[in-house]
Amino acid sequence: MRVQLSTFQVRSVQSLHVLNRVTWGARPRDLERIAAVGISAFIDEQLQPETIPDPFIDSYVAARRILAMNVRELDMGDYSTILDTMLGARLMRAVYSERQLYERMVEFWTDHFNIPIGDLLSYKIVDDREVIRRHAMGSFRDLLFASARSPAMLYYLNNDSSTAEHPNENYAREVMELHTLGVDGGYTESDVIAVARAFTGWTVRNGEFHFDPYVHDQDEKYILGARFPAGRGIEDGLQVLDLLANHPSTARFVCFKLCRRFLGDNPPSSIVDSAANVFMQTRGSIREILRHILTSDEFMAAESQKFRRPFEYLVAILRVLDPGIQIQDPSDLVWSLEALGQVPFFWGPPNGYPDVSEAWINTNGLLHRWNLAMNLALSGDGYLPSAALDVTAVLPPQPTTGALVDAASERILGMILPESDRQTMIAYVASSADTPIDISRYHSRAPILIGLLLASPYFQWS
Amino acid sequence: MSLSRRGFLKSMGVLGISSALFPSWMPKLVFSPHGQQSVRHDILVAIFQRGGMDGLNAVVPYGEGGGYYDRRPTIAIPEPGNGYGSVIDLDGFFGLHPALAPLKDIFDAGALNIIHAAGSPDPSRSHFDAMEYMERGIPGDKSTSTGWITRHLQSASWQDESPFRAVGMGAILPASLRGEPSALALRSIADFHLGGRQDQIASIQRTLAGLYSVQAPTDILDMKAAGVLNTLDMMAQLSAQEYYPANGAQYPDSEFGYALRQVAQLIKAGVGLEIACVDIGGWDTHEYQGGSDGTMASLLNDFAQGMNAFYTDLQDEMGHITVVSMSEFGRTANENASGGTDHGHGNAMFVMGGGVTGTIHARWPGLHDAALDESDLAITTDYRDVLAEILVQRLGNTALDHIFPGYTPTLPGIIRPR
Repeated sequence: MRVQLSTFQVRSVQSLHVLNRVTWGARPRDLERIAAVGISAFIDEQLQPETIPDPFIDSYVAARRILAMNVRELDMGDYSTILDTMLGARLMRAVYSERQLYERMVEFWTDHFNIPIGDLLSYKIVDDREVIRRHAMGSFRDLLFASARSPAMLYYLNNDSSTAEHPNENYAREVMELHTLGVDGGYTESDVIAVARAFTGWTVRNGEFHFDPYVHDQDEKYILGARFPAGRGIEDGLQVLDLLANHPSTARFVCFKLCRRFLGDNPPSSIVDSAANVFMQTRGSIREILRHILTSDEFMAAESQKFRRPFEYLVAILRVLDPGIQIQDPSDLVWSLEALGQVPFFWGPPNGYPDVSEAWINTNGLLHRWNLAMNLALSGDGYLPSAALDVTAVLPPQPTTGALVDAASERILGMILPESDRQTMIAYVASSADTPIDISRYHSRAPILIGLLLASPYFQWS
Repeated sequence: MSLSRRGFLKSMGVLGISSALFPSWMPKLVFSPHGQQSVRHDILVAIFQRGGMDGLNAVVPYGEGGGYYDRRPTIAIPEPGNGYGSVIDLDGFFGLHPALAPLKDIFDAGALNIIHAAGSPDPSRSHFDAMEYMERGIPGDKSTSTGWITRHLQSASWQDESPFRAVGMGAILPASLRGEPSALALRSIADFHLGGRQDQIASIQRTLAGLYSVQAPTDILDMKAAGVLNTLDMMAQLSAQEYYPANGAQYPDSEFGYALRQVAQLIKAGVGLEIACVDIGGWDTHEYQGGSDGTMASLLNDFAQGMNAFYTDLQDEMGHITVVSMSEFGRTANENASGGTDHGHGNAMFVMGGGVTGTIHARWPGLHDAALDESDLAITTDYRDVLAEILVQRLGNTALDHIFPGYTPTLPGIIRPR
């Protein structure tokens, strides 16, 4: 028998907060799990994804050869099959992987080192696997070095055609502005040009990274105050990455973004500063920085401050309805986010999808959130063919209207609604809290009751 | 700020909940366009070309001769009269990229101004900083969170209560529309309807209105919810009838064309639209930009076809419409080794409508080495001068110190008073 959420109520305020941020949204059994092992053990577990068994996702991924292919194999495949496989896997991993924090970090770095699919689908699949997913919980330095040599990145930011005679500054600018130092991180326009010269010759050959010494600028350079002697080759670019990976501005910029993700739009500077110290001390250990942030007082105090972005909103709905909802067509579900403005891997500019609420709180977004919630809640009635909800599994029939509303809000929001909102919901179902619920009213009201709770302000925040 | 907030709350009481609950609500009776204005003002459509348009290949200073052609050996647009793909001459010195041909008729009709060597004075070459500065209207200042258009709406002498007052076309509101009064984000009129069992729509609406406290909004989320519920009925009316552009106008089959088409629909429906923002992206042409054909030519063609369709469709209304385009920066005077151009400075802006002088405004700095600002076309007209003149002459707002704090615009004299 499922343990009722109400038994967790007292200790679950903090547990729910941790689950909302560390995972993609709390499933009933996540609340059970965190109650059993405790908050700090749960966080510790999530910080070591390699020790968490993940049989369902392992077999899901293993069954999709596309996700393991190299560029040459991918180029021979069918474009829309490859694309749907990639989008579907993104959703399935977020919803069902037990390595939840890892999957959240995959999303974070996907935005940080953003490369839209554009006409780079094959390269993007390889970048996702070999750069982002490989290093998502490892060392920032390794991640940066891998990204700099990723054919997808070299093509996207035009470094592939950058030569000594005509250096292309696109990658050079963004690697400092967006990947490392931040726009106020203390570099100049002449640094941009010198970095572009340092990366000349970093290109792609036969689908793989290639350094071409013949087009590399071998002259002396000065970058961020350091002298780069004449006559060198690939060492120039490697030294730039080394400088950037260990720069205090990088520590601060990356930690600011992590704190904004895990705490809220305006994280206290105390946590950004202390996280940046951990970055410097551990030479960019992502795991240790996260451990510091997630076990901080500032983090525990940052409850309900993060507005869910559209993709997270979809995933959180699918998780809170688990196991009562079946995903029939994951990529189709992902495409339904088009109206909300966040289909994964489709953000065009190099800065990644915005991570502040002001970008997402707007009329278009809100309306389409309500509709997504309603369609998923009614998916058992065929409103959304890509999913199927078994309403009775999520919200069993109750004798009275009041009991039905309370059971639904406990199940979906982990709490009893404040009285005025409780009355609003009761008024939707029937005339009063005491009104008995017969089977026909149950079938007419229960799915939309679930949809309304998912559409409510409470579920928009994590 | 407090004034507009009160205005918004008042509109909730007057229109908010009633519109949500009574589908018979007739917006046309409630909102006559600019109902509270004693004098009618222009509707402004602000187009943002994201990525940094190469103004030197859009409006080509072919009269520079080698100053232009030597810098762009593979991407330059041939001088006028050289057959296919050559510049469309405008005044003997400047000419349009051939893909901008749909703008030539509008220019000849005196309804298009071109401002060259224009832009934002901040030297940033970061897309994201430069866009934020331009849209917030305070170059170099990151501390102000409202957009320039929002500050115009705040300081206008009238405070219309239409939820359609300011509309950003797309899933994310542009920075120029951030802050209060709250603008509408609209991706598609046809999709702007509430889902769920249609026999329960009224009670679904009522419940959402209750959960989001739209009668007494306490936060931005509540206010946006009120914005949705206030506009649903109007959107339903708009999408109920097929929209047929007038005068045979043909919008390009693109996101940009679709957005402009919907703006035209909103204008004609008289829902109280004052400002619409439309984006057109893809201008960051570091590589394979092309010349008369190619990547940038396709973008210019989409842009020009959209502008032309909008102009044709709204010919009868052009007397009270102003369209202005801007981009976060121009691009380097020299082409790079990849057949593209890098982030630069000065750029070209377009202003279309019934109130323009139909001229080219360019205090032309030249393209010889000494005239360049670092490696770029210098800026001789601050983009805010153009916007300020539109605000003063067409939108009836002289509170320029509120809209562009710390800056005193010099009106260029290219926009006629209404």
